[in-house]
Amino acid sequence: MIYGQTIYWLTLLSSFLVLLGTVVSFIEKDSPIPTKQLLQSVIDGKNVDQIWQELGLSPAPDILFFLANPSVGESITMIGIAIGVSSVVPATFLSAYFLKKSRNPVFAILAILSGLLTCVAMTGIIL
Amino acid sequence: MQRLNTLKYIKNVPELFVLILATSACYLFLETQIDGMAFGGQGSFSGVDIIVISFLVSVIIAIVAVIAGVGGGVIFTPLLLAFTSFDTLLIRSTGLVVAMFSGLISTGPLMRKGLADIKIVLLGALPIIIGGMSGSFTAIHLARRLGEQSDGIIRLLLGLMLLFIAAVFVFKNSSSDYPALKKSESFSQFLKLRKTYWESSLGSYVSYRATNVKLSIFFFLVIGFTGGFFGLGGGWAAVPLMNLVMSIPIKVATGTSGVLLALGNAAAIWPYINVGALIGIVAAPWMLGQVIGGLIGANLLTSLKASAVRALLIIILFASSLKLVARGVETLTGIEIPVL
Repeated sequence: MIYGQTIYWLTLLSSFLVLLGTVVSFIEKDSPIPTKQLLQSVIDGKNVDQIWQELGLSPAPDILFFLANPSVGESITMIGIAIGVSSVVPATFLSAYFLKKSRNPVFAILAILSGLLTCVAMTGIIL
Repeated sequence: MQRLNTLKYIKNVPELFVLILATSACYLFLETQIDGMAFGGQGSFSGVDIIVISFLVSVIIAIVAVIAGVGGGVIFTPLLLAFTSFDTLLIRSTGLVVAMFSGLISTGPLMRKGLADIKIVLLGALPIIIGGMSGSFTAIHLARRLGEQSDGIIRLLLGLMLLFIAAVFVFKNSSSDYPALKKSESFSQFLKLRKTYWESSLGSYVSYRATNVKLSIFFFLVIGFTGGFFGLGGGWAAVPLMNLVMSIPIKVATGTSGVLLALGNAAAIWPYINVGALIGIVAAPWMLGQVIGGLIGANLLTSLKASAVRALLIIILFASSLKLVARGVETLTGIEIPVL
């Protein structure tokens, strides 16, 4: 239950953030990530490296860039998506605790390992 | 009557009601108050139109996917790879978002109803995460090494795989609602992979024991890899694997699949985010459509004819696969193939 509820509410939070980010993207002025150029480049079929290079962002921005620029529309959107995608991490660690308490140590360990691997993926260490 | 039930359902889940209202208001604001053509476009569609259309298509995909018992990724990724010129890495990363978010939002309700087995989720999660991350890294590495040629290879491979998936849906009529209780192997007994849940359609409890666990772990690894590589998710394979190989009742297999793939794909998506292959403004409407459409689809599940929806899904899969194979061959050989 705790697993499901944690993910559910974090996913809803991320949805509202993504919606906010979308609106901000279209109304902001002088953004370091201009929505017009970004959208047109995607529609024109450019590859992702080209898209970011033409915006003057090379290497391509990662989540740290977006966290460092939280008022930009694209950043709010990406942070929202990241919260949704990452909602499984606290959920698995919380599940591990309750699985251990209910004498399911093997699955508690599996939950911790899953959470840890996801954290490793987030850091980009093995890219 | 069904429309009233759906409205009643939405009102009983106030957070969904607020999300739908907020989304509608925001998109209405963008369409009426923003000069859409100032944000680029294609033909007569402005950039804002493309965002709103993406959201609406995503809602439809989510509803079809829930009723057909698959993830949205298996519809989204082939459709966009076949019929748009968007970058393939971008489509695949967004496909993982699509595949994930309908699973994420349904995790809570499914676990409350006892239709997602947390032990099976955690058993399958590790191989799917490892496979998914490997698939994502391979996709990114291939795109960087081969450039446009990799697009052709991806389209061709995915087209052929989709033909296989469509054929599975056409010929597979052997899902077992309630597999007979078999003697499970010692590994399954050690892990205590057995459960009883309340089946409301029967008005009774149903018990099951998972079988062929070690073989299934290997298949979860393969599902994870294809999901991460193609941006498909993996529900189309995970459900039959759990039902037919592991002897898990179909409803529990479907529910567990959604939760499992949400967890598994969470790791697969991060390599794409870290190289800038996921673009927020593009992924946002697809993500919102999956959240809203997934919840609505779950409510419509009992009323719409599943066979009609599955027929629609098969048509979409066949059409996409033909177009993908044609575009793949075109890119690799330069020969034009006029299909669809």
